[in-house]
Amino acid sequence: MTARADRPNRTNQLSTHGLDLRYGDRLVIGGLDLVLPGGAVTAIVGPNACGKSTLLRGLSRLLSPAAGTVALDGADIHRMPARSLARRMGLLPQQPVTPEAITVEALVRLGRYPHQRLLSPWSATDQAAVDEALERTGTTELRDQHVDQLSGGQRQRAWIALALAQDTELLLLDEPTTFLDLRHQLDVLDLVSDLHTESGRTVVMVLHDLGQAARYADHLVVLQEGRPAAAGPPSEVLDAALVKAVFDVDCQVIPDPETGTPLVVPRGRARRHATAVAG
Amino acid sequence: MTPPAPTTPPTPVTPPAPTTTQSLVPAPRKDAKDASAAPKRRPSRGRRTALLSVCAVAAILVLATTALTTGQILMPPLTALRALIGLGDSGDVLVVQEFRAPRMAAAIVAGAGLAVAGGLLQRLFRNPLASPDVMGVTGGASLGAVSLLATGASQTLIPLAALGGGLLAAVLLGAFAWRSGLGVTRLVLVGLAVQAGLAAAVNLMVVRFPAELANSALQWTTGSLYGRTWTEVSAAGGAVAAAMAAAFVLHRRLAVLDLGDDSAGGLGLAPSAARLQLLLTAIVLASLAAALTGPVAFVALAVPHVVRFLAGPPTAGTLALSALTGAVLLLGSDLVVQHLLPVHGLPVGVVTATLGAPWLLVLMIRQSRPTHRSFG
Repeated sequence: MTARADRPNRTNQLSTHGLDLRYGDRLVIGGLDLVLPGGAVTAIVGPNACGKSTLLRGLSRLLSPAAGTVALDGADIHRMPARSLARRMGLLPQQPVTPEAITVEALVRLGRYPHQRLLSPWSATDQAAVDEALERTGTTELRDQHVDQLSGGQRQRAWIALALAQDTELLLLDEPTTFLDLRHQLDVLDLVSDLHTESGRTVVMVLHDLGQAARYADHLVVLQEGRPAAAGPPSEVLDAALVKAVFDVDCQVIPDPETGTPLVVPRGRARRHATAVAG
Repeated sequence: MTPPAPTTPPTPVTPPAPTTTQSLVPAPRKDAKDASAAPKRRPSRGRRTALLSVCAVAAILVLATTALTTGQILMPPLTALRALIGLGDSGDVLVVQEFRAPRMAAAIVAGAGLAVAGGLLQRLFRNPLASPDVMGVTGGASLGAVSLLATGASQTLIPLAALGGGLLAAVLLGAFAWRSGLGVTRLVLVGLAVQAGLAAAVNLMVVRFPAELANSALQWTTGSLYGRTWTEVSAAGGAVAAAMAAAFVLHRRLAVLDLGDDSAGGLGLAPSAARLQLLLTAIVLASLAAALTGPVAFVALAVPHVVRFLAGPPTAGTLALSALTGAVLLLGSDLVVQHLLPVHGLPVGVVTATLGAPWLLVLMIRQSRPTHRSFG
């Protein structure tokens, strides 16, 4: 949106230093040192219960570290005022709660919360940010419709519009494609990709699909039991040995015929099934 | 972003022609009005809320005038209004200024306070049954008042004792419910337990009361507006106004909390702190109301449902409408108690409960249609 390029000191690099994240007694992430490059799209992938959503909660301050720090451009995010952090970092949780009978526009307006003071009235800047967020997500026509009556894909775009209205340089998305069909998964990922290329936003997202992660991310973090099994550009880190080690799946990794990025093709049951049918 | 190409099938499925028997959903009207409004917008819900608010204000004015003019001495409205500002017959002035006006004002203040408290709590807890009656606040206020009666101290201190009791109940609630944050379910369950305990304590004290205090004590088990004085009403009224202003200032936080704790955190709002602020506001409002009237049942519980039924899902506007509706309900109920019932001296809580219970049942039955999952 506005005034994004003229802040050269902000690279929007997130980093963790000796980060421990716990739920009660259970250590989910232990001693994690990680750098998520600014100005890039980072995808965090890994098997179920590897701690990827927990890591995102830690990065977005929803979960306080048991030890270690999370830093944004070197500054500890847990020492920042909540609102100033929220003006730099937006978050789309995995399963956000849709208030009853709220319209798309009313939902998106809530994204302006960190920019508003206690008594400040709704401003032209606020309205402009909301209009632009609706425009970018293609939800302008839906602005007066109730969110709980939209399709899954439309609803997800409305939620992304809320995060966009927040007007942050950094966007954290927790499994933004879950519960969507393939068409809408691609819509959401294309939108994320546009946000990155057109306005230079830094994006960190948790994804399930390795192929989509490889396609849409500049930087891939593969988590296994709370530790990074690999981190780097997808073409450098994603190979058959890694997939076998982390997901316990035998596969080939071939260049995606569309994009040239790594594509994971599992071996196994499918072939046996094919031979069984043939025989 | 370019919007996704619509994935229309090559042969669009033609919808079945609507017949009169099957069209439960009204077909879109194609009149000139709709066509002229190019980007189709819904009729504003805000306008409807504003209209209803105007009606509620009118109702309050009519009921308030009725309250001032009726009683053992009937007087024309103009005489009553002149008496209110100290003009006319000194007897009329005394009746209006000392008896009728404070009682009328107490009904408005308490009704508005209870309704806003109920609206805040129901939204905060995403639970349609949340209300100060359920959360232990009115129980605490009653216990405070009854305890004071038992010690034989001056009855002018009763409102203060009720306020203290309500806040004490809130502290109890917070202490029991706090577990690294204020969770919704836990608060409701602990609130129920606190309320049950406090109500039992009130009843125990009332049963052991000497007979001459039994009538005063009755007010603190059902709620009544009898014998309010200007001192009490103006003190409580000022405090209720301040707490209501706080509620409206905090309304933006309430709207953000509606998105769930994770989204609220992502927007820079600390959910537990915000919930505590709003909870305290609601508790202060309910305690102040209970200090004026005793535990008047159903106003806090029913008014938010009535407003939702009339004006739709909660906004800042419907919160204001709740305040007005609460005032109408309590003022109207008190007039019924004073003039329309064959039995005299019944507490107003009896009427609100009698009116509120069936009305609430009707609303619940209407809302239990699958599209309105208010218990979700």
